[in-house]
Amino acid sequence: MSLLDFLNFHLVPGIVLGSIYAVGAIGITLVFGILRFSHFAHGDMATLGAFIALALVTAGMGPWSALPIAMAAVAVIAIGVDKLFYDYLKARPKIVTVMASLGVALMLRAVVQVVFGVDPRTYASGIVRPDDYFGILLRDRELYTLAAVVAIVIGLALFLRHSRWGKAMRAMSDNPDLARLSGVDNRKVTMLTWAIVGALCAASGFMLGINNELHSMMGWQVLLPMFAAAILGGVGRVEGAVLGGLIVGIAEELSIFMLPAQYKAATAFALLLLILLVRPRGLLNGKVL
Amino acid sequence: MALLDMKDVRGGYGDADVLHGVSITVGEREIVVIVGPNGAGKSTAMKAVFGLLKVRGGSIVFDGEDITAWAPDRIVQRGICYVPQVDNVFREMTVHENFEMGAFLRRGDLSAAYERVYGLFPDLKAKRKNLAGDLSGGQRQMVAMGRALMLDPRLLLLDEPTAGLSPKYMEQIFQITRDVRDAGLSILLVEQHAKQALAFCDRGYVLATGANRHEGTGQALLADREVAEMFLGG
Amino acid sequence: MDLLGLANYAVFMGILIGIYALLALGLNIQWGFTGLFNAGIAGFFAVGAYASAILTSLPASGRLGGYELPLVVGWLAAMAAAAAIAWPIGKICLRFRSDYLAIATIGIAEIIRLVIRTEGWLTGGVRGVTGVPRPFGDLDYMPSQIAYLAIVATLVLVAYLLVERQVKSPWGRMMRAIRDNELAAAAMGKQVEARRLQAFVFGSALMGLAGALFVHFNRSITPEAIDPMIATFLIWIMLILGGSGNNRGAILGAAVIWIIWSVSELLTDRLPTEIAVQAKYARVFIIGLTLQLVLRFRPEGILPERQAGSPPHR
Repeated sequence: MSLLDFLNFHLVPGIVLGSIYAVGAIGITLVFGILRFSHFAHGDMATLGAFIALALVTAGMGPWSALPIAMAAVAVIAIGVDKLFYDYLKARPKIVTVMASLGVALMLRAVVQVVFGVDPRTYASGIVRPDDYFGILLRDRELYTLAAVVAIVIGLALFLRHSRWGKAMRAMSDNPDLARLSGVDNRKVTMLTWAIVGALCAASGFMLGINNELHSMMGWQVLLPMFAAAILGGVGRVEGAVLGGLIVGIAEELSIFMLPAQYKAATAFALLLLILLVRPRGLLNGKVL
Repeated sequence: MALLDMKDVRGGYGDADVLHGVSITVGEREIVVIVGPNGAGKSTAMKAVFGLLKVRGGSIVFDGEDITAWAPDRIVQRGICYVPQVDNVFREMTVHENFEMGAFLRRGDLSAAYERVYGLFPDLKAKRKNLAGDLSGGQRQMVAMGRALMLDPRLLLLDEPTAGLSPKYMEQIFQITRDVRDAGLSILLVEQHAKQALAFCDRGYVLATGANRHEGTGQALLADREVAEMFLGG
Repeated sequence: MDLLGLANYAVFMGILIGIYALLALGLNIQWGFTGLFNAGIAGFFAVGAYASAILTSLPASGRLGGYELPLVVGWLAAMAAAAAIAWPIGKICLRFRSDYLAIATIGIAEIIRLVIRTEGWLTGGVRGVTGVPRPFGDLDYMPSQIAYLAIVATLVLVAYLLVERQVKSPWGRMMRAIRDNELAAAAMGKQVEARRLQAFVFGSALMGLAGALFVHFNRSITPEAIDPMIATFLIWIMLILGGSGNNRGAILGAAVIWIIWSVSELLTDRLPTEIAVQAKYARVFIIGLTLQLVLRFRPEGILPERQAGSPPHR
């Protein structure tokens, strides 16, 4: 196989997929770090975001214009989900919240299934031929996806590093008691976190949908790769989530050199077990929860 | 009038009382030390001031206001800062960011505050971009104190600030405490190293089994035979 | 529905309740008594089902099989296969947080589903395994159903008694102590790891047995037979609603939830087809909501865990 073929048919799809995983994994790692539990409804929240965008597209909007609105919508929904289903479990062991999130996952999925049905859908019909950029073949949507991911990651990094509330989030992730003693309002940070996580979910769901197709199980199916990415990179670390996402995405696409194509999805699981065996704190030394 | 007036406080963490009527006062520009044997309730008494305890009797008055039932976030805003014994820095944030978090509730120009804190801890100026978790124990303690000072409190509560530190750092911490007092603050601290603490403080209280035993100036307590027998030994 | 139809339906439900009760008992061992979050129940169920099916069924072209081994062998193999899958997962993941175990079990269930779908030479792929023998299958419909119900009920009873005895024993008290107090657990070190692994493996074996009972009841199995997430989640809510940490609660929860689930299916079936499909998913929503309500208002379940009965030794 020529180098260009390898790039175009394996590496590029891997990077696109990996960056979608990265966005999802960032959300997961934020919840891990700040709220300290595994959010199993993450995938189905992404599904919801993708389908909200679909509803807007069906109403006549362009897909990429629908994205910010879908992100805002899921941000609000995420805050609502927390208030309704997770907040009152705060005093109980975290594993109970994990269980509740499993229930929320099913509920979100059911809403999508009832409203939109279970048949696969797309944002736009028709085959799109990729453009040739010096031998690298990229479709517009892939280019926009990569650009969007870069923008999201940089934007979030700047927010966390330099803004007052970004630092408050980091402080809560680092030492919640000390953050409280410093006057950081726990509830406000929690709401802010859910808003960001919801927006990230919607973005990853949308990008998944626009590069493939939409169906009600799409989010659940990427839950494992996204969790694997977050744990691989180091739980609680945003840079880790990005790194982990790219590794998982590229590994999945390259896995066909080692595994039959149907087992692509097993790659993430293998990586998860591997990192748990070899270096459970992840590549960039995440928290020990 | 004393800045802090803690009178006859009774309370505990759960159902049982740890404090059985503790009274402590701190005046303006004073270093007051609480010493006593293990289990005396020293840290508990301090936590009561900061609202981290279930207070079931007595009163705590700060600058004329009764703060007995207040929550920590409210007390912080009133001008009391607490430096816990452990977990007292944001390990994953830089020294400077730790100070920023200390000033989280403040608005406006903070350059004077940073100047003061870096002035007190010159060693930290070179390390301001280092992660707090990467520093030595003594330096971390300084970051912890600096974080608390960023809010420009009237009263600083230090819980065993020299625990686990080398004599060099211990001396530095005591010196810094004196500098802070000279700058106009009052400090209440709990100390395990009773002898050194009583030597450098203005006044001290000796607690045992959750109640007052002795009080007086640092020098007076050092000279007191009973206090010496109690635990100062050697 | 006439009386006979009702009786038929009741027996049919009873069999399925029994199968789900076994699953819930297995989960109770893992979660209720040991605090292990298994989110991949459907995987262990499927492994047990297929193991038994492959070993006992008639030969089929393109697929491994035709051994036509006796039922008991099949059922024991089902338990062994599920246990064999549980063991390495447990070994790797049990020492971590419960949610890492949950993710790993989600993963293993997914892998199992992939294998079932892809390895046609073993599992028959989408065609599945047919020609699976059924005990007392040659009898008329009603007697055959009742016979099967008797078998399932017996097995549930045996499992219940076994687990109850384990739970009341010193082993059981120790497991609960470990579950409730991480510090005590840490102090006991290796012992704890081994005990937790035992609980995980044994619970999975019960789930495998449930799978075997399911497949022999239907005489066949296909990948579509079980929606993994719904099956797994149903068992979770059965246990939480019934009362986690309580074996009778597990069985009660299985009965209550299964009745709600299948009666609601009957009702939605009667709706006009256009909305019937969507209505089915509304049932999933209701079940998910039920979990939230139980967690909020009655987290201990209908039959709460009983505290150890024996007086403390001094």
